[in-house]
Amino acid sequence: MAIATETVGPGRAPLTPATIRNDRRKGDRVFRGFARGTGYATLVLLFLIGLFLFIEGWPAIHVAGWHFFTTSGFQTIGKTKHFGVEASLYGTVVVALVALAVGTPVAIATALFLTEYAPRRLRPFMIAVVDLAAAIPSVIYGLWAIYELQPNVVGISGWMSRHLSWIPIFKVATPQVNASLFIAGLVVGIMIVPIIASVTREVFSLTPPGEKEGALALGATRSAMIRRVVLPFGRGGMISAVMLGMGRALGETIAVVIILSESFFISPHILQSGGTTVAQLIAVHFGQGGRLGTQALLFAGLVLFAVTLAINLAASAIVSRSRSGAGVDL
Amino acid sequence: MTLTATNDRNTVSDVQPTPGTGAAGLVAREVCAWFSGRLVLEGVTLAMPRSTVTALIGPSGCGKSTFLRILNRMHELVPGAQLAGSVELDGTDIYAGRLRATDTRRNIGMVFQKPNPFPAMSIYDNVLSGLKFSRISVSDRDALVEVSLTKAGLWNEVKNRMRELGGALSGGQQQRLCIARALAVEPRVLLMDEPCSALDPTSTARIEQTIADIADEVTVVIVTHNMQQAQRVSDVCAFFLAAENEPGRIIEAGPTDVIFGSPTDERTSDYVHGRFG
Ligand SMILES: Nc1ncnc2c1ncn2[C@@H]1O[C@H](COP(=O)(O)OP(=O)(O)OP(=O)(O)O)[C@@H](O)[C@H]1O
Ligand SMILES: [Mg+2]
Repeated sequence: MAIATETVGPGRAPLTPATIRNDRRKGDRVFRGFARGTGYATLVLLFLIGLFLFIEGWPAIHVAGWHFFTTSGFQTIGKTKHFGVEASLYGTVVVALVALAVGTPVAIATALFLTEYAPRRLRPFMIAVVDLAAAIPSVIYGLWAIYELQPNVVGISGWMSRHLSWIPIFKVATPQVNASLFIAGLVVGIMIVPIIASVTREVFSLTPPGEKEGALALGATRSAMIRRVVLPFGRGGMISAVMLGMGRALGETIAVVIILSESFFISPHILQSGGTTVAQLIAVHFGQGGRLGTQALLFAGLVLFAVTLAINLAASAIVSRSRSGAGVDL
Repeated sequence: MTLTATNDRNTVSDVQPTPGTGAAGLVAREVCAWFSGRLVLEGVTLAMPRSTVTALIGPSGCGKSTFLRILNRMHELVPGAQLAGSVELDGTDIYAGRLRATDTRRNIGMVFQKPNPFPAMSIYDNVLSGLKFSRISVSDRDALVEVSLTKAGLWNEVKNRMRELGGALSGGQQQRLCIARALAVEPRVLLMDEPCSALDPTSTARIEQTIADIADEVTVVIVTHNMQQAQRVSDVCAFFLAAENEPGRIIEAGPTDVIFGSPTDERTSDYVHGRFG
């Protein structure tokens, strides 16, 4: 027999999983250590920032107690101390929601246009323009908004307050409709469009071409194909993009400071003048309220930090749970 | 004349010819195709008679897929693609502007080389997806699903798993699901681009059986690299060839037994007997 065959018996089944030894090379180890080190450093930094805010801000909570969350105002000097973040938290949420309501549809439409409709030759240019819009400093948006956007939008605000006032949030108690939470939200909404658009565009462009062709070959129009193939594929990515935008909207400071006239009055009428956000509270009052004021603002910062962190963590959890940022298994 | 279609919207929609029902014949006349200005297919004329199975054979890169995609207006979706010539579906030129691209594609279905079910839709919804795209309503969805899956030879394997996702099937099952999905819109012609190339012999046999079963009600045009398959399933056979640095052309077309038994062109004879390509 030319070829000897050796029969391999069934053998004994191993009872414990084998440990696979990887003899890594030095360069590999160094790189791994470096990547791991910087990764941990970021986490540690996040933790230290939170800890710092907590320790430095705690004395304010010692004074105000839980009332910090149910009080609106910033009076930290004098006999009667009256300070808290209630109205500011409320305003922060309102601004973020208005921003999302305005920004999300525009951003998703932009992303769809860029991936599905834009002429192929113009596409790279258009993508660059949209991405560039994310690089404009927010102070520029703020200035543009107060000189250009607001004068044009107050008319719309007024119209809405007159004709849509049966929707409670569009009612107004005063005729003033500038410097409102609505307009602040509008500016922030415009600012987050490029962020949401670029994340969703990336996800949309990953849609398997075979599925798109399959839909078109069944007689689907382009819009039906988008609704039934591209959008479902990009769902997870869209959700996380919106949350990223929301994180940005919650923390936006300077554009809100420029637009919003500060008022600690909590009102459901978002079109009317006045409001406050946590970021604005900190930026406007920093260094004004004595030692207690600084402590109160640091704790307000901690609150904002915690909210934003939670939103971003939720966003990344959603992205990592779904296939390539898309949400079949959501 | 070169037709350049940049999108699938149709400008002439006032005339809506009622696409008939049942198998329809296809006739391609003097079809040429370009990719980014490069001619890849030249002067292809071929009749694909009603209720027959036509096999397109030829070596890789000779333009079979391109030709197939011209038959249901998928070619124009490729950026930079152009074409010339005419394709008639029972006498109506699909490129003349009287039929919308979407209606054309609904009447001339397509099955791709790589199975492409919609992975996030259930098996049931996958079968009905074509109807949803075209907003066609049917009175008895369950019956349509069953009939389509039965025709595609998949019903028995999936009848108890209708709600599972289309992506949860094996490759061969996915391909048959794609066939069922294509049949559910009752196309008059079904184009298949190497539908079995990723499948095992059993699935291949099932699909060949499916082709034989549906040939009465739908004209089939199939691209295949498998000579035995071409012989087994087709009535008519067309041999494509592209000489080096030249566009693809039809060398010979005719009844399958003639193409395989006594071809007139030596190149055809060489190819079908596996002497090159
Ligand atoms: N999207 C494209 N862009 C540019 N050229 C293309 C494209 N698709 C095909 N071609 C070219 O067109 C010619 C014909 O390709 P086609 O896919 O029709 O060949 P085929 O006969 O189907 O080959 P195969 O048997 O390998 O599938 C080839 O030269 C190919 O390189
Ligand atoms: Mg091919």
